[in-house]
Amino acid sequence: MLDGIRILDLSEEPGFLAGKILGDLGADVVKLEPPGGDRFGRRGPYLGEVADPERSLRWLALNTSKRGITLALATPRGRELFGRLAARADVLLETAAPGALEALGLGWETLRAERPRLVWCSLTPFGRTGPYAGFRAHDLVLVAMGGNAALTGDPDRAPVRCTLPTSYYAAGPEAAAGIAMALYARERSGHGQLVDISMQECQLATLVTAPGQYSLSPQLRGRTGARLGGTREIWRAKDGDVSFGLRGGAARIPSLVATVAWMAEEEMAPAWLSELDWKNYNHNLLSAEEIARLEGAFSAFFATKTRRELFEQALARRIMLAPCNDSREILEQPQLRSRGLFTTLEYPEFGARIEHPDFFAKSSRGRIGIRRRAPRLGEHNAEIYGELGIDADGLRELASQGVI
Amino acid sequence: MSVPEGLFQGLKILELGAGAAGPVATRYFADQGATVVRVESGVRPDFLRLLHFRPGDPHGLNGGPMFVLMNPNKLSVAVNLSKPEGIEVALRLVGWADVVSENFSPRAMAKWGLEYQRLRELKPGLIMVSSCLFGQTGPQRMYPGFGGQGSAIAGFNHLAGWPDREAVGPSGTITDSLSPRYVALLIAAALFHRERTGEGQYIDVSQIETGVYSLSEAIVRASARGEVMTRRGNHAEDAAPHAIYPCAGPDRWIAIAVFSDEEWRRLCEALGAPGLARDPRFARAADRLVHEEALDAALVERTRALEPDALMHRLQAAGVEAGVVQTCADLLQDPQLAHRGHFVRLRHRHLGDLRFEHYGICFSESPRRLETPGPDLGEHNLRVLGSVGYDELEIRSLVEAGVLA
Repeated sequence: MLDGIRILDLSEEPGFLAGKILGDLGADVVKLEPPGGDRFGRRGPYLGEVADPERSLRWLALNTSKRGITLALATPRGRELFGRLAARADVLLETAAPGALEALGLGWETLRAERPRLVWCSLTPFGRTGPYAGFRAHDLVLVAMGGNAALTGDPDRAPVRCTLPTSYYAAGPEAAAGIAMALYARERSGHGQLVDISMQECQLATLVTAPGQYSLSPQLRGRTGARLGGTREIWRAKDGDVSFGLRGGAARIPSLVATVAWMAEEEMAPAWLSELDWKNYNHNLLSAEEIARLEGAFSAFFATKTRRELFEQALARRIMLAPCNDSREILEQPQLRSRGLFTTLEYPEFGARIEHPDFFAKSSRGRIGIRRRAPRLGEHNAEIYGELGIDADGLRELASQGVI
Repeated sequence: MSVPEGLFQGLKILELGAGAAGPVATRYFADQGATVVRVESGVRPDFLRLLHFRPGDPHGLNGGPMFVLMNPNKLSVAVNLSKPEGIEVALRLVGWADVVSENFSPRAMAKWGLEYQRLRELKPGLIMVSSCLFGQTGPQRMYPGFGGQGSAIAGFNHLAGWPDREAVGPSGTITDSLSPRYVALLIAAALFHRERTGEGQYIDVSQIETGVYSLSEAIVRASARGEVMTRRGNHAEDAAPHAIYPCAGPDRWIAIAVFSDEEWRRLCEALGAPGLARDPRFARAADRLVHEEALDAALVERTRALEPDALMHRLQAAGVEAGVVQTCADLLQDPQLAHRGHFVRLRHRHLGDLRFEHYGICFSESPRRLETPGPDLGEHNLRVLGSVGYDELEIRSLVEAGVLA
């Protein structure tokens, strides 16, 4: 969908996903690393347990469909080359601290003067301007400042985050969307623009309007563990956790009725539950005792079943219940496999094949998806610098000067 | 060149569906000048209109705060799609639209005769996106579920919480906030493609798959080394301290993340804790990871009496990553969010003053706008149907026949 669009991608880990999305959508993403490689972005764990930046699984997972070059922006020659690369680009994607590129003479104002059609996407923790623009943050601080941590975790312990950086995963598609929107606008206006993404602000969408609801009735919810809005959302099955809810109004009731019918077949539905008046059921009106009674009955039933047994019946009986899958279970999930979500990439130099989630969207205009594996360090220097008329001798010279 | 009317001035989007995942996606366009018309019905109302409903609530379908907050800048027409005349209205609106975005379960649109094959004949160049939990194809496509189930299947729930406890899941049914960003991206990319080629397209999105794709690192680690990532509290593989520490006040906390030995020295200095800096157990990053429990215990002693906001400023000034665990009350007063204009106060005719929110993008050439709260059901029947050729008499008879309901 974005064929022919050249994206110069300077981003570090928080921007990996944004660039990958654009590449998977067909853009020509050129990933720029310092000559020594992105040491943090290429950290372990490693393929084959060999500590080698080329084997970083994080890197391999999140940099598909990009080509890779090296360039030292700290050198004058590097900055000159950057200017020439930027002049050929439609989009610049970067995660530098506000002011850092300006300090090198490579700021937005400078580049736009030379190339008014350039779309510049800046992905930073708090945005490019404002009182916290200079604050530093990776995922943990972002989920804290963005409001999600305060609501995540058990009430008797500290707030928690996910094991993987979900704040980057929220910001990645937001940045990619901002870039696509700016490209659309450019088709009509002829001009590029600055797309300023705040990762903190992206986090607030995960609260699904909780701040607005608080502005209406100021009561802080706090952390409620496996519960949501007063009722349980995550339940213990025989072999792990499942998601199932008592709230949601009319849309949820058929699922509750079907669950109780199944329990009755197995003689695990108490009489009061079988006789419950579902027509007038409203989760907002349940007393604490009623909630405890309902949760007790469902908990007792779920505890006798494995997650697989529960999900099979959920599918057959149209019950809104799902297993809390781990990553190996996801790889084997039949629905995801039937849609061809996973694609295998070859890593012959390591004798390895790895399954990756492919780009998921199915278009009537043909396949959208991963087009190449993540680049090795400087893998495409010859191709990209060749466009600037730099030949093999020139590349050797640049390498000897530490520019690439 | 400034485009004060918005990037999407003149764009027309027809939205069918309910809940969060569908309606959030079109917000991006509505806030940048597109006209977004929701086709909905009181016969089978959007469940968000009733999520907080109690019998006796005076505003019924129009007083649901979550619906109102999630659907600003949109127009609502009430159309009963179980009546043939209702389908006629929907088809007329498709003729008006550039984009159709829907998030019903897979068979619904075809059942009404509103599938892409038919709609594109009516409207060449149409862009249509369907986004349901599991996608339009496959053996489990009819599985019913909310975002909570989507987050569980996609793997988010398993990754949040403490290793010795049940999963808690990141708050907020994460696929409901994640999948709309991808749908907005795909609509924008399809518009870009149409602008260049004149071609429309149909796109099928599974909300769960947007989650699995985002968690690519977990899948690749599982495939490459058989690793099953799980919840680990706030532990990180490559940083210590990396935790959330208690502060002075009820349920007040601060997040602190230290990635290098230099940052560790700065943290000790900013906390006035030279003893910690000298402690050999904590000297190097690898040592701190080994002794993480003792490290966290030592830091808790130094944070628990401190005011979190002042501590954050002190640590950030020293070059240490730190951030207050902000509550909704904190967010509404956050000076950085205020600087970006994140919250906008709008008056809703039934609920009064409410704070509406923007998404995370600021465009330099086009400020985002929030002008009207989520609409009442059918609030714009006259205006919208009038703009596609129905006269007042026809509209009145459609109301009387229960079609506009």
